[in-house]
Amino acid sequence: MKHTRLTDDLQEQASLYAAGAMTESEREQYARHLEEDECAVCRSEVTELQSSISLLAFTLPSSGPSPSVKTRLMQQAESARPVVVPRPPAFRWIDWITAAVAVASMAVAFVAIRANGQLRRNAAELNSRIAQLEVQVTQQRQIADVVFSPGARVVDLAGQGKNVQASGRIVWDRQRSRAIFSVANLPAPASDKSYQLWFVTKTGEKLSADIFETDNGSHVAELAVPEGMLAAAAVTTEPRGGSRQPTAGGFELLGAM
Amino acid sequence: MSEDARVAQEDRELILRMAAKDANALDAFYTRYNRLAFGLVLRIVGNREDAEDVLTDVFWQVWQQSARYDASRGKPVAWLLTIARTRAIDRIRSTGRQQSQTNELDEQRDPPPAAPAADPAVLMDTRAAVQDALQTLPEQQRMLLEMAYFQGMSHTEIAQAVGQPLGTVKDRIRTGMMHLRKRLRPYVSV
Repeated sequence: MKHTRLTDDLQEQASLYAAGAMTESEREQYARHLEEDECAVCRSEVTELQSSISLLAFTLPSSGPSPSVKTRLMQQAESARPVVVPRPPAFRWIDWITAAVAVASMAVAFVAIRANGQLRRNAAELNSRIAQLEVQVTQQRQIADVVFSPGARVVDLAGQGKNVQASGRIVWDRQRSRAIFSVANLPAPASDKSYQLWFVTKTGEKLSADIFETDNGSHVAELAVPEGMLAAAAVTTEPRGGSRQPTAGGFELLGAM
Repeated sequence: MSEDARVAQEDRELILRMAAKDANALDAFYTRYNRLAFGLVLRIVGNREDAEDVLTDVFWQVWQQSARYDASRGKPVAWLLTIARTRAIDRIRSTGRQQSQTNELDEQRDPPPAAPAADPAVLMDTRAAVQDALQTLPEQQRMLLEMAYFQGMSHTEIAQAVGQPLGTVKDRIRTGMMHLRKRLRPYVSV
C-alpha cells in the first residue's frame, strides 16, 4: 500500500529499518513495501535516514586493507569486461543467415565425414565455426532486444573534422536505460589513445559512457544510459584508458539526443 | 559548488564510468573509499581476514550494480556504506555472532599502507560533523543505535540486552535517528 503522508508510526518503521534494528521478518516485509509498493513517502524517509546513519563510518578508526584486496578486485573486474561484438549488426535477417550457414555447414560436414580424413578435419572446423556463429547469434539477439524494444529511439552521430566519413548510431531503450552504440568508418586511434563516448546533459555535464578502440573502423557495444535530461552524445580522442572529463579540443563524432 | 558537492559529483561520474565497465573508475572509487568502507566492515565483523573478504565483495557489488545506482536514493558514498554494512552484517549472521576481538581491532589498526584516502579535507569535514552529532546525542540513544547498526541486533534483542521495554527501545532509536538526520542533513543531501 502506498502512503500519502508520513505518520509517527511510518517514521518509526523507517528509522528501525535504516538503523538495521528490525527483525528479519519485519525487514523482509518492509523491503517488499519499499520495492513492490513503490511507496515514495517511505522510500524518501529511508533514504535520508540510511544516508545519515551510514556516516557513522566516518567516526571509526582509520584502517586500510592489505594491497592484495585491490589486486584481487581489479583482476576480477578486468576479466569481466563486456563482450564487444566486432562488426555492426545486421539485425532482422541475421538469424536466418546463421541458420542457413549452419544447415549448409552441417551438410558439408556430412559429406566431408563420408569422404576421407581430410574432409573430417574440415568438418571439425566447420562445426567450430557453427559454434562461433551460435555465440554471435546470442549476442545479436541481446542487441536486438534493445533495438526492437518498444519506444527505442535512434540517435545518429555525424563524423567531425578529419573523420567526416565516420558515423555513429545510438539505439536507446529508454525504458531499461540501455543502448546499443555502433560506430563505422572511424580509423583506429593512435596506440597511446582511446576513443571515449560522452553523454552531455542539458546542464552541460559530460558523463563518460564508453571507452573503446575501433576494429577495421567499427565498434559495437551495449551501454548503460544515465538517467536525466541528455542533450547530446559525442566521441572524443583521449589518452589511452580514457579521461574523467574530455581533454581533446574537438569531437570525432557528435549528435543531438 | 562546495567541496562536498564536487566530490559527490565526481563519485557519480565514477559510477557511470563503472556502469560502462571502465576499470579505471573502479580503481579510483576504491582508492577514494577503501579505508572508510574497510573501517566499517572491520568494526562489524571484527577480524581482518573476514573484513578483507567482505570488502572485496562490497566493491565487486558496486562494480556489478553500478548501472542500477539511483542517484535519487542518496550519495554514492552512502550507497557504498549501506552495501558495506549489509554485507558485513550478512557475514556475521552466516558465521554466528560477531567475533568480539576488540584486541585485534586495537592491535591491527593502521596496518599495511593501502592507497591513501583521497580528498582528506572533505572527509575530515564530514568526520567532524558526525562526531559533533554523536556528542550531542544522548548516551542512551547512541548506544542503541550502535548496537543495531554495528552489531546487527534487532529491537527485541536490544530490549532484552539492555533490560528496557520494547517500546522505549523503538522510541529511542527513532529519536536518535531524527537527531542524526537533523545534524547531518547538509552532508547527506543528494
